[in-house]
Amino acid sequence: MTDAKQDEVDPNAPVAGMDFFMQLEYHELLCPVVREFADALMDKRLIGHRCPQCGLVYSPPRGYCPICVVPTTKADEIELATRGIVTNYTVVTPVQYYGQEETEPFAKVSLQLDGGGNLSLQDLLEVPVEQVHPGMRVEVVWAPDSERKVDDITNRSWGTAEGAIQGWKPTGEPDASPDDYSDKVF
Amino acid sequence: MSTQPAAVIGIGQTKHKKKRDDVSLPGLVREAAQRALDDAELNWTDIDAVVLGKAPDPFEGVMMPELSMADALGANGKPIMRVHTAGSVGGSTALVATHLVQTGVHDRVLTVAYEKQAEGNAQWGLAGGRSGGMGAGGIFAPWMRTYIRRSGAPEDIGWKVAVKDRQNACKNPYAHLHLPDISIEKVKESPMLWDPIHFLESCPSSDGAVAMVLTNEAGAKKAPRKPAWVLGTAMRSELGTFPGRDTVRPRAGVECAHMVYDAAGIKNPREQIDVAELYVPFSWYEPMWLEGHDIAGPGEGWRMVESGETEITGNFPVNASGGVLSSNPIGASGMLRFAEAALQVRGEAGEHQVADAHVGLAQAYGGSAQYFAMWVVGSTLDAVDKKK
Amino acid sequence: MANDIAIVGYAQSPSLRQAELTEPQFLFPVISEAIERAGVERREIGFTCAGSCDYLSGQTFAFVMNLEAVGAWPPISESHVEMDGAWALYEAWVRLQHGDIDTALVFGSGKSSPGLPAEIYPLQMDPYTLTPLGADPVSLAALQARAMLDAGKITEREMAETATRSRKNAIGNPYAQVTGDDDPETLLKEPYVTAPLRRHDLPPISDGACAVVLATADKAKALSKRPVWIRGIDHRIDIHQPGMRDLTESPSTRIAGKNAGVGKGKVDVAELSATFSYQEKLLSQELGLGDGVEINPSGGPLAANPVMAVGLARFAEAARQIAERGKKRAVAHATSGQCLQQNLVAVLEGD
Repeated sequence: MTDAKQDEVDPNAPVAGMDFFMQLEYHELLCPVVREFADALMDKRLIGHRCPQCGLVYSPPRGYCPICVVPTTKADEIELATRGIVTNYTVVTPVQYYGQEETEPFAKVSLQLDGGGNLSLQDLLEVPVEQVHPGMRVEVVWAPDSERKVDDITNRSWGTAEGAIQGWKPTGEPDASPDDYSDKVF
Repeated sequence: MSTQPAAVIGIGQTKHKKKRDDVSLPGLVREAAQRALDDAELNWTDIDAVVLGKAPDPFEGVMMPELSMADALGANGKPIMRVHTAGSVGGSTALVATHLVQTGVHDRVLTVAYEKQAEGNAQWGLAGGRSGGMGAGGIFAPWMRTYIRRSGAPEDIGWKVAVKDRQNACKNPYAHLHLPDISIEKVKESPMLWDPIHFLESCPSSDGAVAMVLTNEAGAKKAPRKPAWVLGTAMRSELGTFPGRDTVRPRAGVECAHMVYDAAGIKNPREQIDVAELYVPFSWYEPMWLEGHDIAGPGEGWRMVESGETEITGNFPVNASGGVLSSNPIGASGMLRFAEAALQVRGEAGEHQVADAHVGLAQAYGGSAQYFAMWVVGSTLDAVDKKK
Repeated sequence: MANDIAIVGYAQSPSLRQAELTEPQFLFPVISEAIERAGVERREIGFTCAGSCDYLSGQTFAFVMNLEAVGAWPPISESHVEMDGAWALYEAWVRLQHGDIDTALVFGSGKSSPGLPAEIYPLQMDPYTLTPLGADPVSLAALQARAMLDAGKITEREMAETATRSRKNAIGNPYAQVTGDDDPETLLKEPYVTAPLRRHDLPPISDGACAVVLATADKAKALSKRPVWIRGIDHRIDIHQPGMRDLTESPSTRIAGKNAGVGKGKVDVAELSATFSYQEKLLSQELGLGDGVEINPSGGPLAANPVMAVGLARFAEAARQIAERGKKRAVAHATSGQCLQQNLVAVLEGD
């Protein structure tokens, strides 16, 4: 877990530290709701659970609404729209660490889907990072049938759509009004 | 058993720097702890219990470090606890130690927080070992941008905070960054890391530790130096992600602030608090917390920055120590706020001492701006009353 | 003297070798059940404290997600220890001493199934001298067991008897993972896993959770017909370096037991975090528990070992003995680290 970079070492200098690399492997079963989310992605469907009490939509589903503290089940499953508004974004200048593959600045956007449901940390396609802005209307770009996979989906943060969704591209429609998104950071 | 006053009678910290390769992990915490004991003129054997805090274990690759550090912290045969509440951990750790004294469970408690980031890789840890890690700045940047949009703040506010905190840090010998040549231009010209946050508006990655000795009224009377009295404590948490959450002004932060003001008898924080140490890892968080803790009204936080009120000579100095922007051993960063506020009301802050500081507020936050820990300390038990 | 605090509700998940649900998902019903059994409104709870471990999950800030199982909205006063839930209970017990709030929720949870304990736990040891050696729990326990055998403080047969009793006790426990009615002779015919430890001397690898609700005296009397009082609680740690300790003793357990007041009255039952069979006798002796004390009627950690919840589960099981089985006085014990380095002891009593 030490830094992968090793400075040039003076052979005569006293030893101040030693690198100790280790690797831990974790194998966790996908929980049922995330598995259902992953299966739906393979069918090019984005699903979520709508809380039967407050109506908030969670996608990927979590099997409960943490606000109302009630379980949600298959009966609460809904299919989400695959179009929406960029509510916020980050352009990340990648810091190099062990395992980091990004080298150039990249954008991650938060989306509010038409009809309800939010997704965070999504990739925006066909838009240079400097042109990303809130209010953009976008639609999903599924990975082609032959490449679509959900192998990388884990329970962590309730799964991602990585591997199934390539990203989101502008629909070409005019930007949404700030009133539609300005207070919806998530 | 009823609640009794608790006071800070010893404070110690390490020199924070990029890489403390002259000490081991136990050596680092012991350096801070020994200084706190020396400050209180106590020995290791005088301590009844130890409360240790740090950010996630994977940052250094040591699991449950209280176990292997017990020996270095003189804890053999004593109680030791390990608190972990994300970035607010340093604050929560100090509060757990305070509660042990206030409730009379122990008479003298040593509390220590640290991070030795150079001994691991925090970016790796945050990303869970996967590519495409956002870093903390990547998570917080959109919220800062939302604050700017909501409040109509001009873009130079962030630069001003960055300059002010680095200038303050030059007065603090323990601070990691000493950048005497810092200027608005340099901040503005530094690379954009996460829009709107430039490199120089962001906290460094530091190795460092901080420790405090807390005791009761009887212990404080015997202390060689002026104690800092704990006048109020509060912890508050909320869910990190749900549709519709206000991340710019998190409700847990508002509630935590009101809890701590009420506990300390503060009715008007802006008037009754002399000095504040707020957890500001990215420049924009200074105005955000001024508003988020109801020190300033909506849209007024950035005006306090603009008018110079939060400078060390202003009427509401924030982060006279240089803050997280100048030293960031993550797990210790929260406790450094708590310790610096205590130093101020003891009148022991040296070159970065704020004049006539009798009431100090310290705050730490963590997770997705969802964990909050705060305390109010005073030069006397009635320091707040004197201001009415 | 500390104020009396009572356990007024408790719940556990079944202990599973590999849980299909995530940690917050299986915590969710456990917390709800504990709150329901306590008869408090969720919003009434004045303080919440959790215990869990990022390294078990293999995820930094894993504990943050567990907040979802509590329903931390609107915001709550809350803290977390990177320790067994028993220490979360201790923090909540301290918090309740203030008297400004009257109830607290405590929980512990962990999934050991995703990782390999033999790889993860060496990270708990001194990072400079012991982690690089791969000092894993089973090897260290084997060293401690060997020290006890060599000192004549235990026999392999006694170890097998402890395992036999644990497994038999666990038969009626719906949360247990390992049950059985083999006799000690049968168990002793099995090969060593790491000599002198056989399979039955080791705990299972478990996923699970436990939650407990605490209340101050007046509130407890209003809530519960049978509050379980925490009469004393203390925790201590020993030197970390196993080579610097007499591994046949546990001074931290002795001090904690004395400070908790174990010896101040007759103990009916004890729930001990004896994760390895030989530890039960060592702990019993350090706590001064005589022959008449029933130990681990639940089966103990040899039957179910949800790390980070297993110590708190001792509180739940000891409380059950008082609230549901008519026992008067019980001891609950939790441990942390290897070779019983850190120990927490509490004395629980019924009215």
